[in-house]
Amino acid sequence: MAAAIEHRGPDGHGFYVGQRMGLAHVRLSIVDVEGGAQPLANEDGQIVISYNGEIYNHLELRRELESVGHVFRTRCDTEVVVHGYEEWGVDVLHRLNGQFAFAIYDRNSESLFIARDRFGVRPLFYAQQNGDLYFGSEIKAILASGEVHAALDRRGLDEVLSLWGARPPRTPFDGIASLEPGTYGIWKDGALWLRRYYELDFPEAPEEPVDVVEQLDELMLRSVGMRMRADVPVGAYVSGGLDSSITASLAATASPHSLRTFSISFDDPEFDESAHQREIASAVGSIHSVASIGQNSIAETFPEVLWHAETPLLRTAPVPMYHLAKLTKESGIKVVLTGEGADELFLGYDIFKEVSVRRFCMRRPESLYRQRLFDRLYPYLRQQGQGGGEFWRRSFLDAGSPNDPLFSHLPRFILSSRIRDFYTPSFRDALGGTDVVAELRASLPTRFFGWSPLNQAAYLEMTTLLSTYLLSSQGDRMAMAHGVEGRFPFLDHRLFEFAAALPTGSRLRGLREKEVLRRWASRILPKGIKGRGKQPYRAPDAPSFFAAGAPSWISDHLSADSLRRVGIFSPTSVEGLLRRCRAGLATGFRENQAIVGILSTQMWYDQFIRSTRNVAPLSTSTASVILGDGEPVLS
Amino acid sequence: MQTTQTEIMTGISESAVISNVRAFVQENFLYMMPDFELADDDRLLEKGVVDSMGISELISYIESEFGVVAAEDEISEANFGSLRSIARFVTARRTLATG
Repeated sequence: MAAAIEHRGPDGHGFYVGQRMGLAHVRLSIVDVEGGAQPLANEDGQIVISYNGEIYNHLELRRELESVGHVFRTRCDTEVVVHGYEEWGVDVLHRLNGQFAFAIYDRNSESLFIARDRFGVRPLFYAQQNGDLYFGSEIKAILASGEVHAALDRRGLDEVLSLWGARPPRTPFDGIASLEPGTYGIWKDGALWLRRYYELDFPEAPEEPVDVVEQLDELMLRSVGMRMRADVPVGAYVSGGLDSSITASLAATASPHSLRTFSISFDDPEFDESAHQREIASAVGSIHSVASIGQNSIAETFPEVLWHAETPLLRTAPVPMYHLAKLTKESGIKVVLTGEGADELFLGYDIFKEVSVRRFCMRRPESLYRQRLFDRLYPYLRQQGQGGGEFWRRSFLDAGSPNDPLFSHLPRFILSSRIRDFYTPSFRDALGGTDVVAELRASLPTRFFGWSPLNQAAYLEMTTLLSTYLLSSQGDRMAMAHGVEGRFPFLDHRLFEFAAALPTGSRLRGLREKEVLRRWASRILPKGIKGRGKQPYRAPDAPSFFAAGAPSWISDHLSADSLRRVGIFSPTSVEGLLRRCRAGLATGFRENQAIVGILSTQMWYDQFIRSTRNVAPLSTSTASVILGDGEPVLS
Repeated sequence: MQTTQTEIMTGISESAVISNVRAFVQENFLYMMPDFELADDDRLLEKGVVDSMGISELISYIESEFGVVAAEDEISEANFGSLRSIARFVTARRTLATG
């Protein structure tokens, strides 16, 4: 199982082999490089942990635990979790500030405690099979056990293709679940009990605190400062936008070394932001490196990206992130700060403006003046010939009633779910009339209905896209494919709680996004990089697979024979789509998502369901540590 | 079939435009839904037949196929919302051009 995810931890491996429990660990050594081998046990060997992630407040917790008598053997943050569990039990979770997924075997109670961080930065999957529990950071580790076999979960796949990612605990694999963010589980006597320890909430205040900028300053500096804690150099990703400019700028100030920064450039100027990126790198004084994405880069790497993502994709955007992590690793950096999370906390995405404009228009539906705000909202789409005109505006205004709790996201959900038009009748029948959007609507917590429309939209964005796609398919999986750890200062839970309690007008004022963040950033950012508007990160989709020189396996996966064998998509329908793709006519979101979704589903099916990659087990003779029931520590 | 005054003036009938545009829509926007029956008065956007990008493509086709040009303020539900409204727009515009 460990060998299947060795890419996540290329710096060492170790095992715990007990009578009733086995743990395997691969290590990416960042804190206490010499002493932090895992699995790691407490003083008497009764508590054993296998852990992935970072506890940023480990120094503070360590002092607190030492003051009540705990003795530490290492400088590693992992050991804080072990002693914290000894001291506080599962309530240790409330004290952890970080990104983590871990399993603690408690030999005293013969139980296993598994947990995942508040926002779902680090993954944790599990499967129950014949009274046993199998778990791992990636699904391929569970499959490598040989005890859990890969099978399609139709509803999981339908969620992926409708929402961009399956909502935990569901995955596209039958019988394999994803532990929900902010949740822990106790496995004892053959049963798994799940509890949520953290809930997203938006207790919006009517007024902005008078010292809002000072509070934000303190939180941001502290968040970045804690995330710079490492025994290896920390770098930063620079996208060209405000958020990564902030994290890179603060990292450059806090770093004891010359900061290394990394960006993606595209040959296609429609997607390229390298001029802005160079400006930022120059302004913060970093040593800057660029991963260049050429015409065929996306198609050539797509199979490997899917193998790491473990899920079908609707966009190719994870592929450049894979190349970026590769460049980062090759540059000798294995920890990077990124700006992920800022758009969710400070209402930066266009979808938040869109919902405000839709509500504004619906109050006076006859007003064409109001409807022209859509053209202002998406000027880059107008430039591409995708926006403008009455039909364009109507597509927003006709997408659901403002009384629908999913109002903000219905245009996206409706657009994405059009891929279902390509399903075969038998696959549609097998789904049994399930409605992904209706299920999401029914799952909303009671408190959701007390929030303002913008906070409702923020919640939906965080639960249906941030954790399920951005932090996983586009985040953790692409970085960890190369043993690179992403750190996200904006996803400090105290920063989230601060932002969630602000009036929404402090975050989105008119059509000006991230208002309070901009106010604060104007104090700390070098001149010239603070005023840039939001530019969504995108990569070429359909054209990547139909350009000259595209690999031949694309046609193989989309052939009628292959489609019939998998049985999910209709060969006749896909043939129509292929005809339009080859003619360069598939230029809209709908067909671009369809072709990426169909191709990736076919490839994913072949990679995981139909066959699997065999990997040689990691050797015990080269293990950094082997623990067992009889001996406290055998390192 | 009786030839109408409009057809004489434009060289094409509303029913011929409907038939032509229906074939285009089926080939380019309904290829994944072969059982979908598109009525002459069905609202193309509301029925999910086309999205805003598809409307742009449809209008480009109509302009090149029938030799008519739609100004920005003419790209509306009234003129392009259904097969019938498209046919009316095309024949009216050709009548103007030839009359």
